[in-house]
Amino acid sequence: MAAFADLCISGTNDKKRLQSIIETAAHLGYSTVAINHLVEVQPKKQEIGKPKCVSELFDHFPIVQGRSRPIRVLNRLTLVVSDTSHFRQTADFKFYDIIAIYPKTEKVFHAACMSCDVDIICIAATEKQPFHFKRPPVFGAIERGVFFEISYAAAIKDSTMRRYTISNAISLMETCKGKNVIVSSGAEKPLELRGPYDIANLGLLFGLSEGDAKAAVSANCRAALLHGETRKTALGIIRTVKKSQPADEREDKEAPPSKKAKLDAM
Amino acid sequence: IQTSAMFSELQKCPRNVLVCERSSFMNEKSRHDKHVSQHYFNYKVSARRYGCDGGVSGVEETGGWGWMGALTALCVLCDPGRFYALSYKTRIDQDDVVALLPLLILSVVKDTYEQLGLEGRPSQYYGSSALLVGTEAWSLPPCLSRYPWKELQASVDTQTLRDLPCPVLHGDDLRGETACEPHAFLEWLGAVAFVICSENEATSFLSTYECPEPRTLVDQAVLCTVTGLLLPEDIHSLLEELRRYFDQPKSSSWLSLVVHGFADSPISWGMAEHGFHKGGENFYSFVLFKNQDYWLHMGTGANDGCPP
Repeated sequence: MAAFADLCISGTNDKKRLQSIIETAAHLGYSTVAINHLVEVQPKKQEIGKPKCVSELFDHFPIVQGRSRPIRVLNRLTLVVSDTSHFRQTADFKFYDIIAIYPKTEKVFHAACMSCDVDIICIAATEKQPFHFKRPPVFGAIERGVFFEISYAAAIKDSTMRRYTISNAISLMETCKGKNVIVSSGAEKPLELRGPYDIANLGLLFGLSEGDAKAAVSANCRAALLHGETRKTALGIIRTVKKSQPADEREDKEAPPSKKAKLDAM
Repeated sequence: IQTSAMFSELQKCPRNVLVCERSSFMNEKSRHDKHVSQHYFNYKVSARRYGCDGGVSGVEETGGWGWMGALTALCVLCDPGRFYALSYKTRIDQDDVVALLPLLILSVVKDTYEQLGLEGRPSQYYGSSALLVGTEAWSLPPCLSRYPWKELQASVDTQTLRDLPCPVLHGDDLRGETACEPHAFLEWLGAVAFVICSENEATSFLSTYECPEPRTLVDQAVLCTVTGLLLPEDIHSLLEELRRYFDQPKSSSWLSLVVHGFADSPISWGMAEHGFHKGGENFYSFVLFKNQDYWLHMGTGANDGCPP
């Protein structure tokens, strides 16, 4: 049991359009959405940049329909990678709540599943999957708590893309047996969003069971978000928060700060 | 070949359960009292009469009034010490839900359960949530005055339908061997509630629904619906009132009473856990006959056990 989430809404500079998409998502019943920033990874060093602060979008975030809390908006980074050497973890990653990777080749897919520090691996929706899903990398990703994502906006727009989305999804399900799958919109307009129960039904077309299809929009999304949160912690166990000291306390200190014993850090 | 095997799964719907009982109100062992009194959280009652003039008496008195406390709970206080409450705007498959009988019942998500540190049992339908049932009654009324609250009245709606095709029912044929089968009958009740045309006209693009056979055409039917937080006690008294209707000289051959439970209630009958998969139906329907016989249909959805 978890609240519904849509972890991929296309980021755009058009503030009004983004606000409209988020309002529609709240109206449909999604409690969490993530704004996607798509970056094509270059061979040479590149600046990914900080995302815009989410609090600038609304003074008062829209309330989720049927509940009394406002919708939660997060930032997500998707890296389109065609070569394993291009993927580098940079300092910019910490500004994003979720890191996703869109592998273009089988080698990158294998690396993404087994070693890359990502939360989500995207499955192609607009083209036929260029490689087959093999069991070892897929199971390796499942063990690491990485999720496979299927986007449905392309399927809404065009019938050929609908065929690609469904066939790619079904071939993934044959390997992963419905585990660790999330379904998100990838919506560029409010009309491309669909309600969470409708997406749970769409999951049945992808070959998911009733329980897995509903989890793909709720519990699995929550797990992917928690996986992203652990990146800001030490091994997911310790989290440090900078404590702000009031000005008068700082002046009172006489002795210089000394090295603390190792035990204190635990 | 593999895809067609997978798609055979698509033809199935999420499962639902329907329990049908037939008995008489005059029978000492009749369980109608128990079924009504154990279905605690009801949000809609609709009583219908087919074939005669006049309204359905007793409905307007049902429902009474309740409170909305700090926009977080719907509460009804009926007798000193008897108190019902259900959290408002909380979804059973997404949030923490609180219910008071006045026994405290909590359905909580994993994070809340870990924070509360209380003992509970794992939910039957949701992997990472728990159901906690208290053993002592809470006395809440003194606390109520601390929070802002507003009074709510249950809303009553009456509709009169004319020239309604209506299935013929025989009191002793519950299974519908000579007449209409229970699922088809309940489907017809739903169609009438939403005023769906059941003529199956060629020009209609909205509905190809047809009233089940054998059927008659009824001149007039009256539908009364009450919506709010409705108590089992109110439904009891409504049922008694409807039984007395047959004492009138000119009465129709049967009446129906449909009671819907809250889709987001943590329990359905007694302490049986209730969940919401794609629908949170937990309802029961009485069909009352002139000879004080009755049919009782109790229905639940995918994330529910079997009704009693």
